[in-house]
Amino acid sequence: MIERHFLRLRARHDIDSEQEAAIRSAIGEVREYQAGRTVIHAEEYIDQSTLLLDGLMCRYKDLKNGQRQIAELHVPGDFADVHSYVLKRLDHNIMTLTDCRVAMVPHDRLRAITVASPHLARVYWFSTAVDAAIHREWVLSLGRRTAISRVAALFCELQMRLGIVGLAEDTGFDFDLNQTELAECVGLTPVHVNRILKQLREQRIVTFRNRRVEIHALDKLRSVAEFDPFYLYLDRQPR
Amino acid sequence: MPHFHIHVHNHSGETTDEEGADYPSLDDAARSAVEGVRAILGEELGRGALDLRGRIEITDADGQTLRVIRFDEVVNLQQDSGRE
Repeated sequence: MIERHFLRLRARHDIDSEQEAAIRSAIGEVREYQAGRTVIHAEEYIDQSTLLLDGLMCRYKDLKNGQRQIAELHVPGDFADVHSYVLKRLDHNIMTLTDCRVAMVPHDRLRAITVASPHLARVYWFSTAVDAAIHREWVLSLGRRTAISRVAALFCELQMRLGIVGLAEDTGFDFDLNQTELAECVGLTPVHVNRILKQLREQRIVTFRNRRVEIHALDKLRSVAEFDPFYLYLDRQPR
Repeated sequence: MPHFHIHVHNHSGETTDEEGADYPSLDDAARSAVEGVRAILGEELGRGALDLRGRIEITDADGQTLRVIRFDEVVNLQQDSGRE
């Protein structure tokens, strides 16, 4: 059930069978959520973390006028909020972008894991650091990238993150977001995003249509984005 | 909620909105369209160009045109005539 989580962990870390068993035993309730639901509200007290099994979730913040900025996307195998273990109250909201299936991990079970295994404590600490690196890359995008580069960079990132959990190839991936949600990721208006997608399509780089990203030229997509995957920390990590 | 499509016609051709989006009303769709065009023009302005020859067409789910908004209607352009 949490195989994608192990794919994600084992892309970077050694997880032996005892550690695997410890993680499996920490999994609690499985829940299904409908698309478009804010499942964690900013500043609400949390005592369990949410592991995404199927679907897409996001972190977002918004303003009084309804303007929303998505700060990160979560793909299957990700914890949407392992950082809530330490923060307890989040400065952002978490919502489902598609129908999702999640597994809840109570914080007392996470504590037991970290006490029993310094390696696993480091593994989960590492994952919060990777989330922070993803936020810094999004800061670069939102602050400095041109509109077309922002969209290209997002597609490059998702192609790698979904690829780790077997949900993307070099030729593309399913991406069940609408244009408005994509716009909220890249800090653009939906009308502008539509124009950018047309440009990317006409340049035979990538086509996003019918909730599917078809990559025609991955090297060109990465070049348009000026994409450097270092921030995803995909190398094997020392124990 | 009603579904609207926001198509953009400008110097780079026609950008068709295949997917469209739900808006509470035509006025809301128009507001979003205007915001979008200003954003596109804003990026072009960053490269030193301002081409106001274009329009937005808002259609319903059946392709009926509900409203047309010209680019020059959404930008208040001020400049001196250059003659004192």
